[in-house]
Amino acid sequence: MTDSLIVGPLEGLKVLEIGDLAEITGKLLADAGARVIRIEPLEGAKSRHQGPYVDDVFDVNHSLRFAASNTSKLSITLSLNDLRSEELLVKLLQDVDVILDGSSIGTLNNISMNAERALKLKPEIIWCSITPFGLTGPWKDWHSSDLVQLALGGPMMSTGYDDHDLPPIRSDGEHSLAIAGEYAVTALLSALWLRDMNDGRAGQIIDVSVHEAVSATTEGAFANWEYMQKIVLRQTGRHAAPVRMSPWQYPCKDGEYVLMMGGGIPREKKIFDVLLEWMDEYKAAGDLHDPSYVEVLYTDPTMNVEIRNHVSETIGRFIQLLPAEDVYRRAQDLHLPWGLVRRSEENLDDPHWKEREFWWEGEVSGYQSTVLYPGAPYKFEKSPVYLRRRPPLLGEHNYQIYAEELGYSEAELIAFANSGIV
Amino acid sequence: MSSELSTDKLLPLEGITVCDFTWIVAGPQATRILADLGADVIKVENESYIDSMRWGQQVDPENPSFNGSGFHNNFNRNKRGITANLHHPLGREVVEKLIKKSDIVIENYSAGAFDRMGFSWDRIQELNPTAIYISLSGFGHTGRDRSYITWGPTAAAVSGCTQMSGFPDKEPAGWGYSYLDHTAGYYGAIAALMALHHRKNTGEAQYVDISQIETGMVLTGVPLLDYQVNSRSYQRIGNRSRYPAVAPHNTYRCKQDNKGRDSWIAIVVEETLQWNALCDLIGDPRLKDDPRFKDNESRKKNEDVLDEILNEFTVENEAQSLMYRLQSIGVPAGLCQRTDDKMRSDEQLLFRDFYPSAPHDHLGEHRYEGYPAKFSDARWKMERGAPLLGQDTFDVLTNLLGYSPEEVANMIAELAV
Repeated sequence: MTDSLIVGPLEGLKVLEIGDLAEITGKLLADAGARVIRIEPLEGAKSRHQGPYVDDVFDVNHSLRFAASNTSKLSITLSLNDLRSEELLVKLLQDVDVILDGSSIGTLNNISMNAERALKLKPEIIWCSITPFGLTGPWKDWHSSDLVQLALGGPMMSTGYDDHDLPPIRSDGEHSLAIAGEYAVTALLSALWLRDMNDGRAGQIIDVSVHEAVSATTEGAFANWEYMQKIVLRQTGRHAAPVRMSPWQYPCKDGEYVLMMGGGIPREKKIFDVLLEWMDEYKAAGDLHDPSYVEVLYTDPTMNVEIRNHVSETIGRFIQLLPAEDVYRRAQDLHLPWGLVRRSEENLDDPHWKEREFWWEGEVSGYQSTVLYPGAPYKFEKSPVYLRRRPPLLGEHNYQIYAEELGYSEAELIAFANSGIV
Repeated sequence: MSSELSTDKLLPLEGITVCDFTWIVAGPQATRILADLGADVIKVENESYIDSMRWGQQVDPENPSFNGSGFHNNFNRNKRGITANLHHPLGREVVEKLIKKSDIVIENYSAGAFDRMGFSWDRIQELNPTAIYISLSGFGHTGRDRSYITWGPTAAAVSGCTQMSGFPDKEPAGWGYSYLDHTAGYYGAIAALMALHHRKNTGEAQYVDISQIETGMVLTGVPLLDYQVNSRSYQRIGNRSRYPAVAPHNTYRCKQDNKGRDSWIAIVVEETLQWNALCDLIGDPRLKDDPRFKDNESRKKNEDVLDEILNEFTVENEAQSLMYRLQSIGVPAGLCQRTDDKMRSDEQLLFRDFYPSAPHDHLGEHRYEGYPAKFSDARWKMERGAPLLGQDTFDVLTNLLGYSPEEVANMIAELAV
């Protein structure tokens, strides 16, 4: 599907995206109907230089990493190292509501641009900066990466294996950018709301820190320390906790893993009873029919860890007798929140997601067939979020934006290109 | 912009009212963001549908209380709380009046549960045609498996996120907490704000259906495309980097910290300048002069031995001081911080006042995780902890919903609220 008349929730919003840290924010806005123009350096955005590539052959237009984070956007090139680019950027920002600035601090100094100047030129602009550590503070110029962010922010010290000779683990997938990108959307949409609900109110500058966003995304680790001065220990395939808990994740008969939420112990006694009936079918309930277990599990407020671990481990031994898919389906039928540990591609053929029309069929440059992109994380009843266009080729919209919209002649555009500005 | 908590600035969402039927983590995370940004979030509970997280991580386990959970407090700060008994006509009337006053109605029950409580989308529209309805459930409200349920780790497992964490020769490490409760909450808040934007432009309210698992599936785009295009299934890589293929890129053991705990540092080299700087700092001739490490391609090929040499160096060093030394020469580095590290010695978080404090009427004065953005001409707030169960019933019913004090007293006597 390309441009169409279906109106997304952000239809009419105009956004200019700069730098590398705003990719996810830009994608979320673009898929929701905003017109997002990504300004790329002449050699292309950083993610175009990161694989995997179609057929494993480098091409700035064939990066699957770029494709995954840049759907529905337009792409233009503009050198941010050349003062002559200033004129173009000034013209570009005249027609936008939001500037997403994911560039490093000082990058735009080369063309005499910054948030304050942009607001003078167009007072209603929302300038949303996303930087590794924020625009202020002793670490503002520090060097960063996804691994560094997940280390400093805390997720890694909660994630890993029981064996602490092994390091804390970073979950793969550039999650620090996703977390900050999601928070940035909440911030800039709130600022837009404030601007638009107050007649004549100016725009403003938003300073999103990736480090703070990640630091706010560690669930129970914060409260354990703030309220009880307890530090959580990383544990294999389950929640970090102040004490060692029994496993939640077991390989089943076919070698595939099932995640038994909370170690498999149901939160309600009536479900524990039906779980025991299921285990009885395989003579695997062990001593769990002993009423003392129920008493401890459902009436003892101290949550006796030794007893809970025994019950949990008995359930864990049971599920190893069965194929994982069978365990998953039967458990869910019994209202147990257990999950199959799937590879991402195993969801492609799951009828549930097809029935929900989750996938977006679209093109990837360099690949002959269409692919299924992951769709939107929300289904709007009246203003659907959808794939507006495939990820743009590098500079694909230079002519459209610079010539057709800003009014530069073809000769001027060629001159810009020859002098390395676009 | 460090004074964003000063009260002379506007709260962006001031004037937005949220009828909040969320519980556990994902839903409260969504409404926490709205409340931090100034929306009047009114959490509705009753002993028959109470937020069970009120019992989680009790600060004083020997004296458990609805109001004794620090965990619940952190996720429900800045909100107001009322009780309403849906089995009593007057309690139901209270909720219906609240929906009539609300811009957003939000819940994260299992799919269909809110409908069974008497609040279908049709009913919400009857009550208030301008109300936006956000529903967060495990599998969403449509599709074959819509009756299935999730907690954060369930969703991480099914979405593919769990499988992308850990070492290739070991079982998946997953996430050490309910990451997708945060994520589903973030997308819940985004959806509410997008729907407000749409309503502002068109006058149209709508219903938004969010599946927690789908909020994880959107994070697996790269392996999904790689599988379809290159017929390659994702293989775990520990803390190394496959795309881009750079080395060193790992966590390395350091000296135990001053509490005797294991200590690790993440070090990433993406450029030649960074590599040269790292070699100069370490001063080990085995690095700079060895052809096995002469360029990134060579380092990647010999990553095992490279990591061993680096580890020999880091294990003799204290993580925090090493981080500062590496950063001072331009090498991306960060120690693996625990919460006490972040709250006591993270100079950046402390400088930016990331852990503001506020009072809670049962737990006392405590710090809270901040909202991770600063505004030049607006603010987010940290005014109060989570509501005690029903703490604001009288205030909300009299001042917002228009009941007289006598009527409220009568409803309390009848156990309607």
